[in-house]
Amino acid sequence: MGQRDIVSYETSVRRKSRIRTASTMCRLDVDCAVKGPEQHGNALPSSRYMVGRGVKRKLNDCEDQMLDLPYPQQRQLVLDLCLDKLQSCQRRAEPSLHRSVLLANTLRQIQQEMRQEGGLHLESPPPAPATPRHSPDLPPVPSDRPSTPVAALSSSLLCEDDNDAQSTCTELPKGTGSEDGGKSQDLLFGSFEITNSTSYLTDLQLDDIFEDIDTSMYDPSDFSVLACPPPRGSSGASLGNDYNLKAFSTSSSTLQMCLNDLDHIMEILVRS
Amino acid sequence: VVGAGGGSNDVQWCFSQVKGAIDDDVAEADIISTVEFNHSGELLATGDKGGRVVIFQQEIENKPQCRSEYNVYSTFQSHEPEFDYLKSLEIEEKINKIRWLPQKNAAQFLLSTNDKTIKLWKISERDKRPEGYNLKEEDGRYIDPNTVTALRVPVFRPMDLMVEASPRRVFANAHTYHINSISINSDHETYLSADDLRINLWHQEITDRSFNIVDIKPANMEELTEVITAAEFHPHQCNTFVYSSSKGTIRLCDMRASALCDTHSKLFEEPEDPSNRSFFSEIISSISDVKFSHNGRYMMTRDYLSVKIWDLNMESRPVETYQVHEYLRNKLCSLYENDCIFDKFECCWNGNDSVVMTGSYNNFFRMFDRGQRRDVTLEASREGSKPQQVLKPRKVCADGKRKKDEISVDSLDFNKKILHTAWHPQDNVIAVATTNNLYIFQDKVN
Repeated sequence: MGQRDIVSYETSVRRKSRIRTASTMCRLDVDCAVKGPEQHGNALPSSRYMVGRGVKRKLNDCEDQMLDLPYPQQRQLVLDLCLDKLQSCQRRAEPSLHRSVLLANTLRQIQQEMRQEGGLHLESPPPAPATPRHSPDLPPVPSDRPSTPVAALSSSLLCEDDNDAQSTCTELPKGTGSEDGGKSQDLLFGSFEITNSTSYLTDLQLDDIFEDIDTSMYDPSDFSVLACPPPRGSSGASLGNDYNLKAFSTSSSTLQMCLNDLDHIMEILVRS
Repeated sequence: VVGAGGGSNDVQWCFSQVKGAIDDDVAEADIISTVEFNHSGELLATGDKGGRVVIFQQEIENKPQCRSEYNVYSTFQSHEPEFDYLKSLEIEEKINKIRWLPQKNAAQFLLSTNDKTIKLWKISERDKRPEGYNLKEEDGRYIDPNTVTALRVPVFRPMDLMVEASPRRVFANAHTYHINSISINSDHETYLSADDLRINLWHQEITDRSFNIVDIKPANMEELTEVITAAEFHPHQCNTFVYSSSKGTIRLCDMRASALCDTHSKLFEEPEDPSNRSFFSEIISSISDVKFSHNGRYMMTRDYLSVKIWDLNMESRPVETYQVHEYLRNKLCSLYENDCIFDKFECCWNGNDSVVMTGSYNNFFRMFDRGQRRDVTLEASREGSKPQQVLKPRKVCADGKRKKDEISVDSLDFNKKILHTAWHPQDNVIAVATTNNLYIFQDKVN
């Protein structure tokens, strides 16, 4: 369960230990914890204090700010949160298939929406050399790949033991892209077998999970801004300090982002 | 036995007892994870994150002024943490569900389950012990047989009541995914256990075999978009069970139709209201609990914002919908961010199916009177904990115009959530679990 985790704790998987917490830190939460209550416009203190220590956890101003944003920025926000949570699933002490599936569905839904719009809004392809997987003026993903990038993601989170007692945990080989003959990605994820596995989480490199996600619409500068948006004076007044409008105003340029930045994004995402 | 015929407004709920530590610093092991009355209501079982089961017993008071109290009857360690050495992950010992078996003899039996293993526990009383062994001393040491000159037959003499819990069956290794439900069949022989993707049917006596009756795991895991969230047998029809999904659907299955009930007999689903559509529509439609009514004609489902009552004869939409905390609808992004949107609330019926109850945040819980169309919000807190103190109805103010005694949405404490509640099968006695405390409320005795 991840309901009560806001601040990062030490991950402890000791067997007899009664103290078990999962570390999950939404980078957006870092902001609030760093900035503190004096940054908030209204009287309510920040909601991101430690939990389970007698301090109330309250709603933050996220909602009001979010509803002020234009729809694409709202969607971007949810998408960022989704990716963040999916990534943190890997680090959880108590993984939840239910949660992962819901997150993956949300991600897939947003991506489909963005993909449909992406085909209409792109004006010119980026000048950077296109990698085979991520060509922004190609609206749908090529048919020889999993039907959605999220499919690869969700499958990588879901592993299962067969009744075959001889099967052992297999390292997922590094993905080589879509040109290697079609269904290879499907087979790679689908063939994951773990003996008497108690979880569907894998030893998978995070790179492999995220490589198939179409991140062509993400601007890496968004992430870096969101990770630690500096407190702004006037520009932040309308929004509060959680989400800087300037960060989102660059999203129109994300559609034309340079593909050289793709690797940079991957690096940030997987924190490798 | 007082019938639970009163509506939620006729009944005045009073504080009766609270169990658990007082301090705010909650030990994780003490977090209550399930609450269940037995079939007579005399016993109340709780399970916690530390794998322990605590059973309270109602003691009949002779004084007419106060209701009976529940006191600790038995405590035992049901599940221990296990370690999956291949994945380097713990299997949590947290008790996900407890279900009581119908009583057949002097002993009580219950099923308790964690993520992987179901155990049948026998709870029995011992109030006599044999004394006067021929060949043994009272402390158990054997006497030198050469010194025995007479024959003595042991007799049973009274002793202090001892309640013993012993594991009688362990049903293991049948679930790959995390078990979320167990349900005992009305045939008194079988029960089902459900995990995220599969439902298994067991015989209560047989531990090395179970039948898989539902399997929604896709051949290609990449296509997985839906998981099983809860399952329950019909209270009277031993061939019928339902299971709910993360997409807000409930499937009713008939085990007579086929061995593998992947094809449902009925599918209950309400079309989505397009005006309420958001990024989080699917997440909040995920059903966290499903419970049949006692009379077997209805079932209740709990999703994130509402409770729905379904007539088993109508699949197209629920017959009743109750909003638990509609004021949260505009806060879904925050609740998504802090993970509260994934909280799984349970729900329960009262004895005659006239009132339903479910929990909320800020240690609030809600009751909906189906007949009188009234609802009430109450709070489980130490402030309202004087003996026989009547609970004051609470109100949450959604907009800015907060009246006196109302609480604004932004002041709610989302750490304090009531996920587990239980209603006595006959009387107006309810058990409400906050994070680590168990509150018992009763209706006012005049």
